[in-house]
Amino acid sequence: MQQAGASGSDTEVTWEDQQNINKFGRLNNRFHELEDEIKMAKETNDNLEVASNEVILTDDDIVRFQIGEVFAHVPKEEVESRIEEMQEGTSKILEKLEEEKESIIVEMAELKKILYGKFKDSINLEED
Amino acid sequence: MASSSSSEVTTVTERRGIPAAVFVDDVQSYLSQSSLDVNSALAFFQERLQQYRVVEMKLMAQQRDLQAKIPDIEKCLDVVATLQAKKGIGEALQADFEVSEGIYSRARIEDTDFVCLWLGANVMLEYSCDEATTLLQKNLENAKASLEVLVADLQFLRDQVTITQVTIPRIYNWDVHQRRARQAVATEEL
Repeated sequence: MQQAGASGSDTEVTWEDQQNINKFGRLNNRFHELEDEIKMAKETNDNLEVASNEVILTDDDIVRFQIGEVFAHVPKEEVESRIEEMQEGTSKILEKLEEEKESIIVEMAELKKILYGKFKDSINLEED
Repeated sequence: MASSSSSEVTTVTERRGIPAAVFVDDVQSYLSQSSLDVNSALAFFQERLQQYRVVEMKLMAQQRDLQAKIPDIEKCLDVVATLQAKKGIGEALQADFEVSEGIYSRARIEDTDFVCLWLGANVMLEYSCDEATTLLQKNLENAKASLEVLVADLQFLRDQVTITQVTIPRIYNWDVHQRRARQAVATEEL
């Protein structure tokens, strides 16, 4: 995890600086959380894709579709439309997550500029 | 460097039992105001950091629990909705369910207006589908609201940790600076 350490003895840390450092820490945490969430959403999307292909290939009219903890016998067409719905949902979520990630990257770069500008070598904002 | 008149600036003194970290504007005035020497101050902040870590672990465990509970409630809502949708059709719902690990059995679920909900503590109650949906929705909303509050608590806590993590080296460096200055004066006088 990135740690903001001030090792210089000359530059004073104002409340505003502290708040910038706090904000950077919070954004960095959220960034890592987002990376995990994006990974999971991508996996779900891939699984849905595989499932969708399997359903198209199957000869059965009835597919066992998981609802809750049970596998309900659902007609093939209904399963196809359900999977499509789920895929749309996951794609939207993935898009939102990617957008949030992009904006966090931009914000963090801004803060880095400000903090490195004031503290130069006294602060370390890189991943260890 | 101009030193400000107050050495402690905190906008919130604590949040739900978590004390806010002391922000030190000026190390010198903080030390004289609290009448602590450098080592005691450092020890105090280190201990605070440990306490924060303990609380962080607890909150993260609660967060994991809630994050597991929410998809469970959503699955239940899914099942109830499916049962309700099947009601008018007249066909029984066939489902394969797990009897034991790796062993599944088939069930025919006839049209029904009632479902049983597991409430925990070995209690299961029968509800109409509508009541069940309402109850599950309420539980879901409560869980999501609790999670939001928890996440805000964690953010606050992590901010306090960051503040303390910055204060400790500042006090240490100030001390090093003082020692060097005293040494320089001492060698000058020789």
